[in-house]
Amino acid sequence: MTLTKQLWIAITLVTTVALGGSLAVSLENARHYLEQELRVKNIDNAGALALSLSQLDKDPVTVELLIAAQFDTGHYRRIRLVDPEGSILVERSRPATPAEVPAWFVDLVPIATQPGLAQVQDGWQQYGTLTVDSHDRYAYASLWAGAGRLLAWLFGLALACGAIGTLALHRITRPLKAMVGQARDIGERRFTTIAEPATAEFRSVVRAMNTLAEHIHKLLDEEAQRLEALRRQTEHDELTGLSNRAQFLRQLDSALARDDDAAGGSLVLVRVAGLDALNRRLGRKAVDEALARLAAQLAASAETRADANCGRLNASDFALLAAGAGEAAALADALRGRLQEALGAEAAESLRLAACAYLPGETPGMVLARADAVLAAAELGFGRTVDAGPTDALLPYASADAWRAGIGAALDADHLELAAFPVLREDGSLLHEEAPVRLLLEGRWRTAAQFLPWAARLDLLPAIDARVIRAALQQLEQHRSRQLAINLSAAALRDAGFRATLHEALRHRPGLARRLWIEVQEAAALRHQVEFRSLCLALRPLGCRIGLDHGGKEFSRFAGLHELGLDYLKIDAAFVRGIDTSAGNQSFVRSLCSLTHALGLLAIAEGVCSEAERRCLVGLGVDGITGPAARRMAKSPLPLN
Amino acid sequence: MSSIRPPPPRRFLTALRRLAGALCVGACAAARAMPDAGDVERLTQARHDAMGASRVADWRRLIAEAGGLSAGERLERVNTFLNRQLRFDDDKVIWRQPDYWATPIETLGLGAGDCEDFAIAKYVSLRLLGIPAAQLRLIYVRARIGGPRSGHSQAHMVVGYFPAPGAEPLLLDNLIGEIRPASRRPDLFPVFSFNGEGLWVGGEVAADPSARLSRWRDVLDRMQREGLQFNP
Repeated sequence: MTLTKQLWIAITLVTTVALGGSLAVSLENARHYLEQELRVKNIDNAGALALSLSQLDKDPVTVELLIAAQFDTGHYRRIRLVDPEGSILVERSRPATPAEVPAWFVDLVPIATQPGLAQVQDGWQQYGTLTVDSHDRYAYASLWAGAGRLLAWLFGLALACGAIGTLALHRITRPLKAMVGQARDIGERRFTTIAEPATAEFRSVVRAMNTLAEHIHKLLDEEAQRLEALRRQTEHDELTGLSNRAQFLRQLDSALARDDDAAGGSLVLVRVAGLDALNRRLGRKAVDEALARLAAQLAASAETRADANCGRLNASDFALLAAGAGEAAALADALRGRLQEALGAEAAESLRLAACAYLPGETPGMVLARADAVLAAAELGFGRTVDAGPTDALLPYASADAWRAGIGAALDADHLELAAFPVLREDGSLLHEEAPVRLLLEGRWRTAAQFLPWAARLDLLPAIDARVIRAALQQLEQHRSRQLAINLSAAALRDAGFRATLHEALRHRPGLARRLWIEVQEAAALRHQVEFRSLCLALRPLGCRIGLDHGGKEFSRFAGLHELGLDYLKIDAAFVRGIDTSAGNQSFVRSLCSLTHALGLLAIAEGVCSEAERRCLVGLGVDGITGPAARRMAKSPLPLN
Repeated sequence: MSSIRPPPPRRFLTALRRLAGALCVGACAAARAMPDAGDVERLTQARHDAMGASRVADWRRLIAEAGGLSAGERLERVNTFLNRQLRFDDDKVIWRQPDYWATPIETLGLGAGDCEDFAIAKYVSLRLLGIPAAQLRLIYVRARIGGPRSGHSQAHMVVGYFPAPGAEPLLLDNLIGEIRPASRRPDLFPVFSFNGEGLWVGGEVAADPSARLSRWRDVLDRMQREGLQFNP
């Protein structure tokens, strides 16, 4: 029972007892008073009448007239004169009917009146005893009316008490609601702070919880700063702060392996030609500054889009990798002007730019070789600076319209299935299964990497994601022990209607929701923080797990990460590939793991290929792995160590 | 003895007090109707003097002893005792009030009273001795003073005893010490009479604040407080 309910019951009880008690006491007082009044009236009137009769001639008619006159003009129930032997001389009476008062009231509050007695004398002789009974009808009527008025007043008072009680309760429990919310947040690893309430007891509790939340916040901030510094200093070019060649190649590798809507994309190579000559002409310092400006501009361009990385491949070569961006030419054109401006008028001439598209599944070497060829052509002045990339002969459609029709038809026909790739704990047991979507297009099952980039361009992702959710719930229903992880696209995340549908679908299946892991790409979540936060707040209470994938690069930049209550982070393959040989990435992943653990998140490494990588990652504190190594292990579990 | 009031069921405290009284005094009915002798005397001593206390003690003895006598003898004993023990005086002198109805114990304690005080003391004594209220009246009379032909008269009160309902009353008076039937008192003219009947129903008088507003009920109430427990 809630506190409010209990307080309400207490208020109601106290009010009822107080008001009911005062009603009873008032009625009893009034009854007693009326009894006394009637008694005194009886005694006095009997005395006065007896006195008159004693003075009178005892002619029976006169006596009867006097009594009748008293009875008829007064308010009596009975006047009786009895002679000393006990026989009635005169009697006048009226039936005792309390007219307008209900019988139960008379039974409840009886007014016991006593008759007034007086002696009548005839000279020295006794003439008789006079008994006078006043009518109690008006007493009952007055008591009844009084009770009615009192009840009305008390009812009004009870209403007023109720109103005051409501206000008071509202005031008292208002901070409590916030406190309960905060406690619940902390229980869900969302370390929120709230304003301190005025009530002393509440204030000390809130202060303690706020202190805890702030402490954690501070801790996380420090950890995040350390992480960011680590990331920068280890695998980065000193002058420009961009990724160095090795790191950039790992990023490229990771991008080529993607199978979501960011599969495929564009690579832009930037060369400052004749660097030695420039150095001699402008001075090394000026050239370094110009290069730094160029790098900053590149980084800024990468910043504006999700899933973009840039790096310095060697002294004069820079690269921008834009995953999921199909328009290589447009990207190159947008960059050119900004980079020339960054280099400055004197060096702008030396800028060479080449762009090429890549397909998922290509090797980094193939993509780089193609880009180099375009750049060489550009340097030779052939003017063609963009390579549209290879056309995938396996792709079923060539035009956007065909893609739209094909995907639409597959969805309508329910030609959709979920793949299953194991995610293993460090001890080799199954954590959950990643379930990327597949569509049956032109008679063959196509991987996500093949159609998701087109679906993204055609704005079909929310529709596909909705079907994925449905398929995942079906799977969970059929296999009671399975846990599935599904990926939500940025487009679906932004779509409020989709979020509502998702919430509705999960709300009615709490048992299934608990076995569903929902992940959003780190870059998408970071760029749509408001939507991501509302998704977290809506889905957390339903029991499903929420995490980030392709994460690590910008993890430390999440504002209020500690307030989101996330469950897991999947670390991007770029930090995982060859980790056994990269000291920088090792310390980065170690820090990332300690940060996620501090927040109560699981750290899962993506794209783990070799057993050496796996062992290294487990040593760094990673809780789970996915990728080729995990698939191999799931088929033939390796003994630990 | 009809003068013992049965314990009223609702008055718990009174019942307790009376139970205690019964345990102390024992089975003597008259003594039970009286307050504890020591108490009354101490009360009187405190209020008045040793003479008063001894008068009260004598009265108490009279009530205790005369219970078994015939009605006539009881009337005689009470009338004689009180007429001898008490000196007539005006309320203005005794109580410094124009009109004050004293209880028997107050009257005996002071050894003086006016006509009402005499009448009340006699009435109460007779009731304590078991004379039924129906046979007793306190009677307001006009008394002619100074012989049969005197035109001077004054307000007076006597106690009347009716041997039978229709009979002529015997009058206990302090002007003339002897008990005489009404016909032998041509100096007195009856005006109005009353007794305690109808006042004491259920023993509620003491609890009723309106009792203090009537002289008669007030004096009965005070008697009860002094410990005289009887049905007026």
